[in-house]
Amino acid sequence: MTSPIKPPDGNWWDQPVNRRESIWLGLGVGWSLILFGWMSAWTRVGDQNPIGETFRVEDEEFREKLTDYKERAEETDDGLVPPEQDVYLQAMRFQWDGAPVVLETGTEYDFHLNSMDVQHGFSLRPEDALSKQINLQVLPGYEWVVPMTFDEPGTYHIICNEFCGQGHRSMHGTIVVEEG
Amino acid sequence: MAHKLDVLGLFDNEYREDGFRTCSVTGLEVHRSAENHIKLFGLTAVVALLYGGIFAFTVAMTRWEVIGLLEPGAFYTHLSLHAWNLLIFWMVFMEIAILYVGGPMVLGRRLPFTKIAKAGWLVMAAGAVLVNYAIWTTEAPNEAPLLTAYVPMPISPLFYAGAIVFILGTVVAALPFFATMWFEKRENPGKTLPLVSFAAFVTSIIAVEALVGGLLAFGPALLWRLEIIEWWDAAWYRQMYWIIGHGTQQINLVAMIAVWYFVTHVVAGAEVASEKISRTAFILYLFFINLGAAHHLLSDPAVSTGWRIWNTSYAFYGATFASLIHAFTIPAGLEAGRRKRGKGGGLFGWLTSAPWSNPVFSSTIFSIILFGFLGGITGVMMGQLQLNMTWHNTFATVGHFHGTVVLGTTVAFMGLVFFVIRTMFMRQYISERLAAIQPYFYSAAMGVAVLMMMYVGILYGIPRRTAEVVENIPGTEFSLSAAAPLFAVFGIFALLAIAGGVLFVLVAVGSLVFGDRVENGDNADLVADGGLGMAQDPDDPVHAYEMRGTFVLCLVFLAAFVITYLLNWYLLTQLWSIGA
Repeated sequence: MTSPIKPPDGNWWDQPVNRRESIWLGLGVGWSLILFGWMSAWTRVGDQNPIGETFRVEDEEFREKLTDYKERAEETDDGLVPPEQDVYLQAMRFQWDGAPVVLETGTEYDFHLNSMDVQHGFSLRPEDALSKQINLQVLPGYEWVVPMTFDEPGTYHIICNEFCGQGHRSMHGTIVVEEG
Repeated sequence: MAHKLDVLGLFDNEYREDGFRTCSVTGLEVHRSAENHIKLFGLTAVVALLYGGIFAFTVAMTRWEVIGLLEPGAFYTHLSLHAWNLLIFWMVFMEIAILYVGGPMVLGRRLPFTKIAKAGWLVMAAGAVLVNYAIWTTEAPNEAPLLTAYVPMPISPLFYAGAIVFILGTVVAALPFFATMWFEKRENPGKTLPLVSFAAFVTSIIAVEALVGGLLAFGPALLWRLEIIEWWDAAWYRQMYWIIGHGTQQINLVAMIAVWYFVTHVVAGAEVASEKISRTAFILYLFFINLGAAHHLLSDPAVSTGWRIWNTSYAFYGATFASLIHAFTIPAGLEAGRRKRGKGGGLFGWLTSAPWSNPVFSSTIFSIILFGFLGGITGVMMGQLQLNMTWHNTFATVGHFHGTVVLGTTVAFMGLVFFVIRTMFMRQYISERLAAIQPYFYSAAMGVAVLMMMYVGILYGIPRRTAEVVENIPGTEFSLSAAAPLFAVFGIFALLAIAGGVLFVLVAVGSLVFGDRVENGDNADLVADGGLGMAQDPDDPVHAYEMRGTFVLCLVFLAAFVITYLLNWYLLTQLWSIGA
């Protein structure tokens, strides 16, 4: 009785399983464990992880940090040069406050990401290699500190990739990375 | 006797005095109450498909910026309508119909509490109309909700209200199904459910979980918009929203797999290779698949790394393993069943001899193949914590879910509609030839369009949900114009796919309205070779037949899986160092 629209009768649980089906089950279990193991191991040994400390933060609180940071940063034609390794970026309809910013290769920066209003998307890529791109969600009420170390100099473009309103498509910023 | 409102005669099958008739194709005892409600929900689903499909055209022709059809404001409205009518209304109305198939129809019972079923339909329809109305009438400062209606974007409270009404209606419409299961088990305590009914039951439980998540997301969001509560946290909303946002897509998946088992059996003689293995896979879904909601929170700040890894992997890939099981058992059931029927010479004779000109069969097979290769594999890619950074909110994500929901579920459901036209509405296709080519045309065109979506997303970082980004980003010299050639391919194949969708609606609606009535014996061509009775011979067990063709196909699939995985990881490792 092997119709999917009739109740199986007798002891269907103890029916033998085709040998090739058993082999496939073994392959499936193995592949599942590889998928899990690799992803898990990469958080310890890998260089690319969407992991960083998160803090709850009030809008004004982050605004104050950002203002203080901007005052201490050096203003150049290309953008702000951060005073230390912290880089503050606040998304708001429809701009990235804190950008443009000038950084160096080889230095680990802590990006502090926050939104002042609605949800935004932090989507970053160097100008000359579009396939190198990463995307992070930016939420109001949260400060996400994500470390990044750039190894190639160049102009990196931030575009917003979470729908944030009618001007969404114009929400753009730049990070200029210079040889460090 | 037809009802006086039934001017097209769509609800007028002949039943015996007890209200049942015997289906000449499936052999099932079909009760009038079950059949008429399946038709009601199925027809409503097709209306939603037709309506939402119109916006497929306007949305795709805006994303193809050479055409650039809509202004941004109109684009977001159309995108919202496209999403809600296809991803939610077409799917969920169809799924209620599938519950009624898997429950009362397969079990040979009447549908209990038909008034509740009708009330559920009414409430669902009211919710759907309300959502559509709220989207159409969006006015500043409100924004179009898109699918997700992320807090704290100002979105019309009417929209959240409509979504809640629709969810409640769905729960009501599912009640007669649960009652059917209850009565069945009360009357036959020792009897095992047929596999399709079991799958429908698992679907319904997953659905209830998803719907509860929806109430937890939309309920407080509505209160917040009405200023009854002060603040509704963006991260909390995301987590609750995705219980329904992703959960509804898991309903699609499990319902679709139930349809795969059903259709391959009925029209091509597939059998269940192992009840134990197939049912275990459904149990794995029951426990693990809804953890997949975490896929949407992988590049989010507010959830911990451990939480993300555990949930995104469905607890050690429990649900992926379940899908790998079905990837074998369904073709294996087809192979062994057809070999048993003497239709399987050589490695792939069982496949080449199958009824490929029957759109019910070809739709189902394309759904299985394309869901696996395009939808399933990419889902696991973007469900890896780190790879997600390269997929999140890009157009590749849109490619992924068009691989699952369109190439997988919609194609399978189209096949089911073709089946229902012949066996429940009792109509011949207005054109056998057009019906036969529709699955090929639609699947092929959509397949290419989906691949292009993925390529432009991954290789050029094209974001989703934007009206303008390739040709021009307002306010900067920078643009993603390198992606323009692939977008041209996308645009052309999207148009072809839409033509395939139009063809489906023409054939389906045309057959219902103008098709010749099926008379006694006319449906004999739908019956699988050798008849379905062969599946019930205990002395000729199906597991003893060869499954080597399936094994080879599955190895090809696994190889594609591994290669795609390696390529995605290669791209990721080219990036600068990110994260702690």
